[in-house]
Amino acid sequence: MRLEKCWFCSSTIYPGHGIQFVRNDAKIFRFCRSKCHKNFKMKRNPRKVKWTKAYRRLHGKDMTQDATFEFERKRNRPERYDRNVTENTLRAIKKIDKVRVDREARHHAKRMKGKKAQLQREAAKELEQSIHMVKAPAALQQEPSLTLPKLKVKAPQQQTEDNRMEE
Amino acid sequence: MGGKCPHRSVKKRRYSHKTARRTKFLLMDILFIDAVYDELQKADGDRKSLPVDEDLPGMGQYYCLHCDRYFANATVRDEHFKTKRHKKRLKQMMGPAPHTQLDADLAAGMGMPDNGPKLMST
Repeated sequence: MRLEKCWFCSSTIYPGHGIQFVRNDAKIFRFCRSKCHKNFKMKRNPRKVKWTKAYRRLHGKDMTQDATFEFERKRNRPERYDRNVTENTLRAIKKIDKVRVDREARHHAKRMKGKKAQLQREAAKELEQSIHMVKAPAALQQEPSLTLPKLKVKAPQQQTEDNRMEE
Repeated sequence: MGGKCPHRSVKKRRYSHKTARRTKFLLMDILFIDAVYDELQKADGDRKSLPVDEDLPGMGQYYCLHCDRYFANATVRDEHFKTKRHKKRLKQMMGPAPHTQLDADLAAGMGMPDNGPKLMST
């Protein structure tokens, strides 16, 4: 049983799934689902479509070089059946898969390092630059206490004012 | 390409951009772009003379390798070399190799295919 990879998105195609296109020079294009097939027919380049593996690889979103990638490959030669080898392989698969998942998680963590701080910085900057959208500039001028650092303190005061109005 | 005036106030009389879109669509033809690319890589060393084929335009003597097209005579072919489409195709061929099944496999986390030892030395 051979598990092929989709030409467009590089996902695994199990037997009986997807569709394949054979060009008149006998090149085979396999697609995992109609989404990929349609994208192919629209002549999209998988390297430019963000959700494909080809794009993610090319732009450093996924791990590229790793020893665990050496195990899964297209083997175009027959292997004599050996019960012990099969057993060992099945055991190894689990272990290797765990190693790969861990490394991928580490890669992701490394890639996302500093992201939260950056987001916070950007948010703070935006708040500072467009505070006038929330509070009219005139109001800010009248009461200097309304500026950024004391924004949190101001909220309860407003509530009390509202309460007075209700009374 | 182009046409009269795309920004005319009367909408019906505007020029359609269909041809422009069509050429763009044809330009990114995946159906044969990788075949042409392979051909180009191969043909870099030796460019043998074209075989005479009476079914093709100009007996198959005037050929554009980049666009995979035959022309009736040398003038038409040289005219074609000046077109935008040809130039765009040239630029495309200078770029990175088109996406193949092997690229897809590698991106999926597979290693290079294992074909075993070579049986015949060529």
